[in-house]
Amino acid sequence: MTNSPMHRRTVLGGAAAVAAGWALAGCSDSGDGDGDAPRERKKGQKIQLTFWSWVPGIDKPVDLWNRKHPDVQVKVEKVSAVNGQQYAKMHAAIKAGNPPDLGQIEFPVLPGFLLDDGLLDLAPLGVARHKNRFFGWQWQQSVFGKGVYAVPQASGPMGLFLRQDLFDKWEVSTPRTWDEYETAARAVRKKGAWIETFAPTNGNRFAGLAWQAGAKWYGTDGDTWLVHIDDEPTRKVADYWESLVGQKLVKTIPDRQNAWYKDLQTGAIPAWVGASWGDALLVGNAPGTKGKWRAAPLPQWKAGEQAFANWGGSTTAVFAKARYPKDALDFAVWLNTAPESIGLLIDGGYGFPSAKKGYATTDLDVDKDFFGGQAYSRVFADAGAHVDTSWRWGPGVDTLYQRLGDAFTDALADGGSFRSVLTKVQAQTVADLKGKGLKVESGG
Amino acid sequence: MSRPAPAARKRTRKDTAGRPRRARRTEARNARAAAAFVLPFLALFGLCFLAPLGYALHQSLQKTERTGPLGLGREHEAFAGFAHYAQALSDDRFLTGFGRVLLFGAVQIPLMIVLATALALLLESASARGIAFFRTAFFLPYGVPGVIASILWGFLYVPGISPLVKIAESVGWHVDFLSRGTVLWSLANIVTWQFTGYNMLVLIAQLKAVPGELYEAARIDGANAWQVARHVKLPLIRPALVLTGVFSIIGTLQLFAEPMVLRPLASSIDSGFTPNLHAYSEAFVGNNPHVAAAEAVLLALVACVLSFGFLRLAGGRAEGRG
Repeated sequence: MTNSPMHRRTVLGGAAAVAAGWALAGCSDSGDGDGDAPRERKKGQKIQLTFWSWVPGIDKPVDLWNRKHPDVQVKVEKVSAVNGQQYAKMHAAIKAGNPPDLGQIEFPVLPGFLLDDGLLDLAPLGVARHKNRFFGWQWQQSVFGKGVYAVPQASGPMGLFLRQDLFDKWEVSTPRTWDEYETAARAVRKKGAWIETFAPTNGNRFAGLAWQAGAKWYGTDGDTWLVHIDDEPTRKVADYWESLVGQKLVKTIPDRQNAWYKDLQTGAIPAWVGASWGDALLVGNAPGTKGKWRAAPLPQWKAGEQAFANWGGSTTAVFAKARYPKDALDFAVWLNTAPESIGLLIDGGYGFPSAKKGYATTDLDVDKDFFGGQAYSRVFADAGAHVDTSWRWGPGVDTLYQRLGDAFTDALADGGSFRSVLTKVQAQTVADLKGKGLKVESGG
Repeated sequence: MSRPAPAARKRTRKDTAGRPRRARRTEARNARAAAAFVLPFLALFGLCFLAPLGYALHQSLQKTERTGPLGLGREHEAFAGFAHYAQALSDDRFLTGFGRVLLFGAVQIPLMIVLATALALLLESASARGIAFFRTAFFLPYGVPGVIASILWGFLYVPGISPLVKIAESVGWHVDFLSRGTVLWSLANIVTWQFTGYNMLVLIAQLKAVPGELYEAARIDGANAWQVARHVKLPLIRPALVLTGVFSIIGTLQLFAEPMVLRPLASSIDSGFTPNLHAYSEAFVGNNPHVAAAEAVLLALVACVLSFGFLRLAGGRAEGRG
């Protein structure tokens, strides 16, 4: 079926102007005959765009847009973000030829969608004129070659959450370096608690930590993808956590699961190397610890350094099949830059804005009381300003995370070294990309 | 099959040259009637079984080729031969997953069927009271969807939350239901809990079909309850036992919902814990539908071989004894 429901409705609408527009669009159609070729909206023509998202509170800014733009209505369809189901659904829709017009896509998985030919290159639509409204490194996450494939929405600068009350009681000072973190872990362990968990299946956070250490897992060289997971900085991170696990200074339970939340509630785990959006998780899952938490900068490898990283963050992307790309782009830009929209998104707890303006850092301290009145977003804003901007993602990051999770799980069970995990995953990732028909070279 | 009508049979004697026209007509009519009855089944069978299988086979033999800078240009499908099968069969995790479900089945299926048989025999023994209540109680878990059952048991397994773990620890016994060595048996427990009652019902249905005279005869011969169960009931419910066995073999190979639900709770369950989970991960995490299709076909093949093998074995032994 080539006719989408909306398409049919438009045609049946029967207005002469619409019919003329349709005929013109038919002419400009480059002859692949699917009839879904992108079109320009006629003045006064009413259209509807569909938008797949899972961001909490996304309905509010979209409602505002709909009130302000009666001609371009956006319909939000909520998708489940559990276990990457939203992406499975999007990939399937692209294959089936009926994707939505817009979608919420996280930075790391963007390249996977490019492989499917699923996203629209926004560069020909003149997206570059909005470039300066966003943080540079976040903008770069959607740039591949000469194309720009999404509008950045939010990021997740990393930092350290900790239970100040327990740290004070146990006379442990806030660690500023990874060495101090290990010392703190030892002190906490003596009190019967565990500083936190090294969740073997959380490839996302491990990537962030490698990013901080200066790793560059993916790159491109001409037509070839480069993979460098097994590089020196990553080995340093792997060795560090292997040592903590080996000394039994950290737990190895999965994070962001019931048992972990329970540990946060009881103080059995008084810290978490997390990201800016983690405030909502703590507030939601350990409400009884209100006022006891603080945020601190991510520990550094060398005292006094300013190396930070990002965990999470997403974009609003326009799918290749979108029939009104210009309007879709307008909406995506408005959603992520208009102050009134950002305000509503912040209230919903969507993360750290990608736009430079339109809010104050204090707007982000929605849960200030929970953090004992600390202006905790300042910590993450500073981190965001120092994130290494050269980090790039490659295709198949979901698979990479799974590979890392499987290999770390094996290593924990069999006592294998974390370095062997990197060697293994490096080889697997190269093979995975080759299997997808790409040119790949192994580095590191 | 259909017996010729008496009238037709009478004609047969008179007519020596070939078969009578009337009989032939009846036969044709019967054949048409049979076709009409079989057609809906065949259509459904083709649509719901053969078509997906054919499509999976087709998918498993294709591959995606990409062109353009960084492979970001157009993609097209090409013939891959058996490359995906080779890839699946050389994937350690996929093979380990197979080994794991086979071990699972070898332990869990006999256990469950023995349990189901025991419950069925107990409930069908003359002296059992509150039969309806117990039958419903044992069957109830089957009504709980696998996903819900797994979540439910997940809460009983996760340390820090589980009352079971707490109780065990209070008596100085440190259990971890989700560690690498135990998680398979924690899953087996969920499956057994869910399906024992179902299998019990199948066995009870067959027991009900046993004519009462047989028991009476056995009792007159002086057989006690155990001997009746051992020598009368068990041989008679053999077909039902074989049936539940085949169902369980297929079910075991398809093990998916339980490990999928427990996976986020237990890092001991990897992405290829069962072959089905492996195929799922390939298809929906790795976005490699072709490899997933090859794995699905292999899985179907193994299920087929094992089920028919089991039927052959069970059937052969029955003949040998009879």
